[in-house]
Amino acid sequence: MHTLKRMVKHRLALVGMIIILGFLVVAAFAPQLSPRDPLKFSLANKLRPPSGEYMLGTDELGRDLFSRILHGTRVSLMMAVVSVALGLVLGAPVGAVSGFYGGASDILTQRLVDVLMAFPGILLAIMVVAVLGPGLWNTMLAVGISFAPTYVRVVRSSVLEIREREFVEAARAVGTSSLTIIRRHILPNCLAPLIVLSTLQMANAILWAAGLGFLGLGAQPPTPEWGTMLGRSQTYIRVAPHYAMFPGAAIALAVLGFNLLGDGLRDALDPRLRGRL
Amino acid sequence: MARKALLLACVFLVGLAAWAAPKPGGEMVIGFGTDPESLDPNKITSAPAGMVLTHVAETLLLMTEDLKVAPLLVENWTVSEDGLTVLLYIRKGVFFHDGAPLNADAVKVNLERFRKATYAFLLFPRVNTIDVVDEYTVRFNLDKPFAPLIAHLTHNFVAIVSPKQIAELPEGKDILEPVGTGPFKFDAWVRGDYVRLVRNDNYWGDKAYLDSVVFKVIPSDATRLVLLETGQLHAMMRVPPLDASRVAATAGLELLNIPSVRTIYIAFNYQKAPFTDVRIRQAINYAVDKEAIVKEILGGVGGVSDAAIMPLVFGHAGQEPYTYDPEKARDLLKAAGFPSGFKCTLYHPTGRYMMDAAVAEAVQAYLAEVGIDAKLVTMEWAAYLAYLRKPQSEATFDMFMLGWGCVTLDADYGLFALFHTSEWAPVGSNRSFYSDPTVDTLLDLARVVSDPVGRRATYASLLTYLWKDAPWLYLHYEGQLNAQRTVAKDLIHHPREYILAHKAWLDQ
Amino acid sequence: MIQYAVRRLLLAIPTLFGVTLLVFSMVRMLPGDPAQAMAGVHATQEYIEQVRRTLGLDQPLHVQYGRFMIGLFRGDLGTSIRTGLPVSREVWSRMVPTLELTLVSLFLATFFGVAVGVISSTKPYSVFDYTSMFGALVGLSAPVFWLGLMLMLLFSVRLGWLPAAGRSGPINLILPSVTLAASSVALVARFTRSTMLEVMRQDYVNTARAKGLRQRAVVLRHALRNALIPIVTIIGLRFGALLSGAVLTETVFAWPGVGRLMVDSISARDYPVVQGAVLLLALAFVIINLVVDLLYGVVNPRIQYD
Repeated sequence: MHTLKRMVKHRLALVGMIIILGFLVVAAFAPQLSPRDPLKFSLANKLRPPSGEYMLGTDELGRDLFSRILHGTRVSLMMAVVSVALGLVLGAPVGAVSGFYGGASDILTQRLVDVLMAFPGILLAIMVVAVLGPGLWNTMLAVGISFAPTYVRVVRSSVLEIREREFVEAARAVGTSSLTIIRRHILPNCLAPLIVLSTLQMANAILWAAGLGFLGLGAQPPTPEWGTMLGRSQTYIRVAPHYAMFPGAAIALAVLGFNLLGDGLRDALDPRLRGRL
Repeated sequence: MARKALLLACVFLVGLAAWAAPKPGGEMVIGFGTDPESLDPNKITSAPAGMVLTHVAETLLLMTEDLKVAPLLVENWTVSEDGLTVLLYIRKGVFFHDGAPLNADAVKVNLERFRKATYAFLLFPRVNTIDVVDEYTVRFNLDKPFAPLIAHLTHNFVAIVSPKQIAELPEGKDILEPVGTGPFKFDAWVRGDYVRLVRNDNYWGDKAYLDSVVFKVIPSDATRLVLLETGQLHAMMRVPPLDASRVAATAGLELLNIPSVRTIYIAFNYQKAPFTDVRIRQAINYAVDKEAIVKEILGGVGGVSDAAIMPLVFGHAGQEPYTYDPEKARDLLKAAGFPSGFKCTLYHPTGRYMMDAAVAEAVQAYLAEVGIDAKLVTMEWAAYLAYLRKPQSEATFDMFMLGWGCVTLDADYGLFALFHTSEWAPVGSNRSFYSDPTVDTLLDLARVVSDPVGRRATYASLLTYLWKDAPWLYLHYEGQLNAQRTVAKDLIHHPREYILAHKAWLDQ
Repeated sequence: MIQYAVRRLLLAIPTLFGVTLLVFSMVRMLPGDPAQAMAGVHATQEYIEQVRRTLGLDQPLHVQYGRFMIGLFRGDLGTSIRTGLPVSREVWSRMVPTLELTLVSLFLATFFGVAVGVISSTKPYSVFDYTSMFGALVGLSAPVFWLGLMLMLLFSVRLGWLPAAGRSGPINLILPSVTLAASSVALVARFTRSTMLEVMRQDYVNTARAKGLRQRAVVLRHALRNALIPIVTIIGLRFGALLSGAVLTETVFAWPGVGRLMVDSISARDYPVVQGAVLLLALAFVIINLVVDLLYGVVNPRIQYD
């Protein structure tokens, strides 16, 4: 409750929250809100500018852009959530164990993370997609894997700090098992940085998916997805600027929303995080 | 009064002559999409590389822009009655850029080296041995008659470089700076950026007007067009089709719509149900509106296929098109036992052919209308090639989109490798596992018939048979949409997807 | 400090070793191989197998890796399969344009990011603050390739002020580096602002103010000085992001850099070039991180390297 109040006071964070909530509503009710079938095509009506008939115009196959962007919300948001969750699930436990136990395993994981971080991120994603083939799920997997090292780093540094706190010492003194300590004491105290990092990474995930879509490696048509739409629209940027504009704007707005929300959460949850995230 | 008019006419004519006379000098910049992988005739595999190389290293015979075989380094040739010996008479007085003379030995050295090349199959193994008959005559000894051989000698990958350069090349190394006989000499190559060529002042034929020509690599079509508009390029390849009308209307720019020799098709896995049923294959041909695809997606560039090869290729015979008729498609599906359609996958490349992904998406949408639920899968190009080169026992795909450029302009090149049973993947390029005894017989026959009328007739019946059997969803043949600034004169935009600056000049 | 630098570089060796192993196995996991990728649709199986043999791709993987590593110790990155050039020459000739682009972008990001951030923090919640922070967020939210095309259309086509693409002079750097820098400027500005705000609440800043120092002096000499460490950290981290972003920027602006070389080499399955390029990029990453760490000592002499 306290956190929420602080967030509401933070005006920009409130804006971010409203944007994200708006997108969630759109995602939930996309079929009801869409004026047309997002897959219904008509080549004769291709690349129409916005008009009374087509609110945001049409794409290269004459499909209604507005309906496609609405439906795309589902795909893009799911993409963001799943890839971030994947990065979290892959990275956080490794970071926690590595930070808590230290020693040889810690050194080893840290070197491994160094390797992954020194590897250009987009390239890692491109290669994962090349190996697994493009598509929605593989894109999420690629982005998730690329995000994991950051989670390892952030969790590990939080754990290192928490490990030395009194309540952990106390728990250890009464003979609580390490696993229980990690689960009961360490992880809950890492939550703040994880939540903040995750909202910021959601924004990144959307941008990455767009980048992969630009290279033709994202979600496969006819599935409406913002990044793929934006990538496709580049071909028509001179003849139909609206086609690039609207998916681009949707991406920018969602990224903006997640960033504002992330900032707000950071200030509300733990102002000390400022210097680290 | 009459004298005045005459005078005016004279002034006008003089002016016209002055306007039309080529001006020597200057540097022309031509924009294209991909950096050549190599400039070694043994290594090159792509049209862009062939385009650059052909200015430096010439071929034995020339394929002109109106697609006729003309003499180049070979002045004349004869084919024996049985088709097993070919004699080539080499032009005299030609020298390579390094001063070495062109003669029969030089040609033999080049062709022997070509035996190990990527595209060696253009000549070998049908050519068994190559003999030097005298200083300016070379003989090919064939194991079997091979009618398309002369056409294959025009291929830019069979370019001739200096024998001195070949002799001095360390084992296992590639030629980096080719030394040929062409109107331009190699000057510089900044990888990923540009290749620069300068005029060869000792050229054996008509010398080039330009001091130099630069081929500049600009991967994005949109960016390339911007550079042409802002004057940083004089000519470019691949204008995005939907920008065509805008370019055509821009003062100072000229739009060129040139045919290309590439046919785009979607092949069915001929050995996999339900595509084993000709009714299904025909239904799919009726279900897709090819006219609309060419008009709306390709901006009218190219044309709807009326055979498995495009109209300019020797041996082409146009067929009655499968007109767009979803009702008929549904009827055929019903007759084949699939009244409510079926599910399948459609593999396609992205960014390889003109608007390929958009075309695939349109096909998917058309198929959905008759109840066929095709799932689209795209792959990165190298992965795609690997995926499609599987033995039949492992091939799980239903349909795939591919393009085949019939660069020799002879039907053999465009049909044999794709439809003959002996060419089944992974050995050859028959990736759809097409197999039909009639087709095999006709393909074999056309290779040994040497009289053109007979070959034409053979291909005509073959194409009709293939049309009815519908092993492909016949889509379209591509066109090339190029553009140039009006100051760029006499550039040749070749159907093989080359822009040639041999005779070009700048009007400024 | 030199001792520290040397130790850090030694520590980087296992990291780079790991990178070689990762990139070696990843490129070989890609479906398809160089022979096939190069020869294209028309290739025959016979030719593909011949190429595989000449390239040694029929050898077991550990033998191939061994050869790669032995070459590496001799300073030889191998030969490009596609072009036949030495990989070191090929990668280096493409690395220079990329470093030009990323370093100029890094400079832009630092200069404008810190400047905007500091000004915003001195007048928090002012019109300037809101506008610049909103502008920063928009910059952060726009996909690189989209922004690039938009800038090109505006400045080259509409206004005709700048060359659209290519790399023929310093003026050509403006559009691509601004495009690439946009998201980093935004990030650095936001970050600087929040760090500055925090530092200015600290006691010693108040003390300085109480001593009657001018606002300018307080901000620059005391607050910014102390805020620099986290700012330097974030700038160091941006370098990796810039290198990633360069792949897309280079495509849009026809910039002959290593990012595009890498994408092209991946599609040609040119194993040696991908390996060499990734390894050198990783090295650049390690060095930049080291420089950042050393900068800590410069901005704050109290930090000891031990």
